[in-house]
Amino acid sequence: MTALTTPARTTARSSPAVTPPSGPRRSATRRRWFVAVVFALPALLLLGVLVVYPMLFSVGRSFFDATGTRFVGGDNYTEMFRDPATLKAIRNSTIWVVVAPTLLTGLGLILAVLTEKVRWATAFKLLLFLPMAVSFLAAGIIFRLAYEEDPDRGVLNAVAVGVHDTFQDASSYPTARARDGQGLAKGADGSFRTTGETRPGRTVALGLVGVQPDELPAGAAPARRAASATAAPDELRGVVYLDFTPGGGGEQGKVDAKERGLPQLAVEAVSGDGKVAARATTAADGSFRFADLAAGPYELRLPARNFAPPYEGISWLGPALVTPAVIGAYLWIWTGFAMVLIGAGLSALPRETLEAARMDGANEWQIFRRITVPLLAPVLTVVFVTLVINVMKVFDLVYIIAPGPVQEEATVLATQMWLVSFGGGQDQGLGSALGVLLLVLVVPAMLFNVRRFRRSQS
Amino acid sequence: MMRLKRRTVAACSSALALALGATACGGGDIAPAGSGGGKLDGSKVVVAGVWSGTEQKNFRKVLDAFTEKTGAEAEFISTGDNVSTVIGSKIEGGNAPDVVMVPQTGVLKQFAHKGWLLPLGKKTEQTVTDNFAPVWKNYGTVDGDFYGLYFKAAHKSTVWYSPDALDQAGVKPPKTYAEMLKSSATVADSGLPAFAVAGEDGWTLTDWFENIYLSQAGPQKYDRLAAHELPWTDPSVVRALTTLGELFSGKDLVAGGRQGALSTDFPSSVGQVFGADPEAAMVYEGDFVGSIAKEEYGKKIGDDAAFFPFPAVDGGKAPVVSGGDAAVVLKDGRNRKAAMALMDYLATPEAAEVWAAEGGFLSPNQKADPAAYGDDTTRSIAKSLVDAGDTVRFDMSDQAPATFGGTKGMGEWKILQDFLRDPADPKGTAAALEAAAAKAFKN
Amino acid sequence: MTVITDTPRQERQAWPARLTRRLSSGVVQAVLIVVGLIWITPLAGLFLSSLRTERDNAGSGWWTALAGPGQLSLDNYSTLLADTGITQAFWNTVLISVPATTLVVVLSALAAYAFAWLEFPGRDALFLVVVALLVVPVQVGLLPVAKLFGQLGLFGTIPGVVLFHVAYGLPFAIFLLRNYFAEIPREMLEAARMDGGSEWRIFAQLVLPVGRPALASLAIFQFLWVWNDMLVALLFADSASQPLTVALQSQIRQFGSNIDVLAPGAFLSLVVPVAVFFAFQRHFVQGVMAGSVK
Repeated sequence: MTALTTPARTTARSSPAVTPPSGPRRSATRRRWFVAVVFALPALLLLGVLVVYPMLFSVGRSFFDATGTRFVGGDNYTEMFRDPATLKAIRNSTIWVVVAPTLLTGLGLILAVLTEKVRWATAFKLLLFLPMAVSFLAAGIIFRLAYEEDPDRGVLNAVAVGVHDTFQDASSYPTARARDGQGLAKGADGSFRTTGETRPGRTVALGLVGVQPDELPAGAAPARRAASATAAPDELRGVVYLDFTPGGGGEQGKVDAKERGLPQLAVEAVSGDGKVAARATTAADGSFRFADLAAGPYELRLPARNFAPPYEGISWLGPALVTPAVIGAYLWIWTGFAMVLIGAGLSALPRETLEAARMDGANEWQIFRRITVPLLAPVLTVVFVTLVINVMKVFDLVYIIAPGPVQEEATVLATQMWLVSFGGGQDQGLGSALGVLLLVLVVPAMLFNVRRFRRSQS
Repeated sequence: MMRLKRRTVAACSSALALALGATACGGGDIAPAGSGGGKLDGSKVVVAGVWSGTEQKNFRKVLDAFTEKTGAEAEFISTGDNVSTVIGSKIEGGNAPDVVMVPQTGVLKQFAHKGWLLPLGKKTEQTVTDNFAPVWKNYGTVDGDFYGLYFKAAHKSTVWYSPDALDQAGVKPPKTYAEMLKSSATVADSGLPAFAVAGEDGWTLTDWFENIYLSQAGPQKYDRLAAHELPWTDPSVVRALTTLGELFSGKDLVAGGRQGALSTDFPSSVGQVFGADPEAAMVYEGDFVGSIAKEEYGKKIGDDAAFFPFPAVDGGKAPVVSGGDAAVVLKDGRNRKAAMALMDYLATPEAAEVWAAEGGFLSPNQKADPAAYGDDTTRSIAKSLVDAGDTVRFDMSDQAPATFGGTKGMGEWKILQDFLRDPADPKGTAAALEAAAAKAFKN
Repeated sequence: MTVITDTPRQERQAWPARLTRRLSSGVVQAVLIVVGLIWITPLAGLFLSSLRTERDNAGSGWWTALAGPGQLSLDNYSTLLADTGITQAFWNTVLISVPATTLVVVLSALAAYAFAWLEFPGRDALFLVVVALLVVPVQVGLLPVAKLFGQLGLFGTIPGVVLFHVAYGLPFAIFLLRNYFAEIPREMLEAARMDGGSEWRIFAQLVLPVGRPALASLAIFQFLWVWNDMLVALLFADSASQPLTVALQSQIRQFGSNIDVLAPGAFLSLVVPVAVFFAFQRHFVQGVMAGSVK
């Protein structure tokens, strides 16, 4: 099967497809067709039977209802767009398609170029390749745990909280609160204030609850004695105590024998005009004392800083961040793919061109920009288009990483399709319609590739 | 995978399961041929089910006992989470298993409607009539034909608590919902939030609702609501939501606050009560909480982890919400005779006792010997289930189409999560539920 | 390549250029180290988790193990391996992955060559259809193909699983290789054709060697995807032909994160892909073409 060379073929860079075979060469042309068929047929046959046929079946299926017996025309399509979840899915899929392939191709390109310059390139490639070798499920679970909100279990929040707490101390009684109607009320700013007015010469007992006994500072002492101390006429005394007897039996609003004071708590006396007249900090038995107060009514205030809730880190998987979080996991998995493929393309570049440019004094950036990238364009296209399509199909990561309450915020078309046809819905009609939508949405990526393809051929 | 939950199986988590193979597909060990030399020597029955891990091992013991008795080989294959798709493709491929353990009523109905199932034989039916409360047979019947034999049951009306935490607060296990609210407030005052709520897993919230509704509105309304003959906008639903909202919105009653609960999954909620560093005193869910407390957190059931029955609400009867795995026979299976023999066997107390001895199992079979259960706590849960007789009701969300009652991020799961986030508007929640139910039940 | 060794080039350069190169090489190394650290952290987490009990994993983060390595043990691994079906499943995985990878590489290379360098009517349109098939998700094929395989007697067999994987691996493979092959300088092919080489010989002796980096990359990714597949195997294999992914996960518990099963499972099944990576990695950087163009 010797390939005959036509005049057109000997001219480099002309399109092989545009030469019409003329009379005497017809049989040769046929023979070339035959060769081509032999080359392409096995693959095309498999594709036809196992991929095209099910796909056409699925397109047809999208015009039938859930049972598959009743023809419903375009109903599945209208139904699909009536569901707000579909619109959210389209929005999220768009974000994915815009962000993920671009970042991945860029990252892959940069890393592929950079690794060429180090000796441990193989080790680095292996490292980036490993995430691809971990199953999607395991990868999903790693990130599910990494994003976990509880800083004891989620590594990202462990770091966030660790950093935060180095700069800011935690408050002493984040969970403490007052019972309703027992002398203290919560202000809008999170502080607690006395409801009735109080005056110098009195001793007040301020009961709080909601603190576990073993969370009290070690030195906390019973508050009863301090609660019954008598105040001098210009003195306002009091005690802040934990109004709960372990094991029960205590009387609410009363300082029972076993009830301990809350030490190290800031207390403020606020005079009638709203100004803070004095400040104090409670002692081991929870007692405090404002001496030399001017006469008049005062309000006692336990400022909010005593009760500030601890910093909980970032809600990675909250509605706002869930899509970026899942995309992050996707980047971790797929960067190796982009890097290895682009690296393979890079290694096929003609070294001489690069060397010549270097000799001409071009700097690395110029070489990268003017030579490497244009020469790599076909490979970059493959990677980019593949990723676009892959991103359209991604749903397992989304499904695993996004928790139930924000699933809807994170949903993408492929997740919707899966849920509808195999998941809860078991409605393959509607599911197929979503599949067709997916197919239609990928058309731009195809067209992009066709245009490139045509250009490179002409 | 993360949260396998039987009830979700049909469907909701299927994406995960199938796509990634989240779950098990058990090894193909073949039970040794029966040494008993029974009448079915040489035949083989293939059983498929969602079980993996310990459950799969224990069920294999039941199958071994069957082999011992009849001589028929029995093989178990695990379908992973998504029974419907796996069974569907096996039927398409002409390689259907003989028996399937379906994880919920909704799936049973779905299989029956697809025409995949064979009605069970007279003998099995008679055994079921003799050994089970009628309610179990009803839940196994679709359009007048008896297809499903409930072999393994769950008891979803148990509130689990840490006895230490209640002692610390000086309260006793409550008898009524009102008492429970009051005790919870006391527990919260003691510094420990009263309840761990797994808001991230929508099904725990539907279970909360169902218990309250069954007790408050009664079994008749419960059945009608389950079949969607009663709209979700019915005042009884609003009332039950209001009752549930009292607990959700109480001060410090929920660990981590409502927002925290929404990012707590079910295993973590058990950990909040029974883990090393308790963050709550009680957690409501089914009997399986006990197994988790024991296996994952090393608690001794009865001593470090105890339960009280879900309390009666507003003068109603204490609810018993249940569910279970039913055995069905596929039409396309290759060995009907052995399959039917297996069904006969599974209906006997003897079969139930084999698994009961291994733990993590409740049988709805009234004739099963309570002595077979390994510990007193399990025994009392099993007794409560059997004693409830015909007042047992199946998990309502399991009976609904999965888009409403069993899909992560959709339907009842999602709407009740929204309700947990902000319980202020039970009426609005009821309306949202009705809208979702109407859409799902139409299909 | 021509692995890009810096030395010869540097010798040709003047010293200021050499200095900037040194500096930039330091920056490059630093950047790569940072990226490497980011990438290795989740893996380290997975690895440490695989050595901790479920109870430890549920209670605290994996990084606490760095402070107290006492909690680490190989118990999770031995529990996994105690499953007698594992060895058989391991072989099944090999029996599925190797033919599936080989077939994809061979069939797609042939087809890609045809699409890139042979003429036949409707070539470009057909190629576009093939690329369009990339978007067809595996799920679409499950039920129709199950039925077809049932009729052909392939359902529940290893060849069935293999064929399915091959079919769904082809679109990407053809797309990738065609675009690589298309970059082969026309002059090279023309010269070979002028010399009277048959298409077979050109394919085998020119295209394949030149396309080695691409073929190697394709092979390794295809291998990975098949190796890690669970969905297809779950539906199309029966218990005798089930692969590792399916067998490993029969140990999953109903509740819990199951990280103590999944993490060691992930590492066990990582061993082979890593070996394959090492076997192939030198082909990633084999710029045959570099020297052949003039």
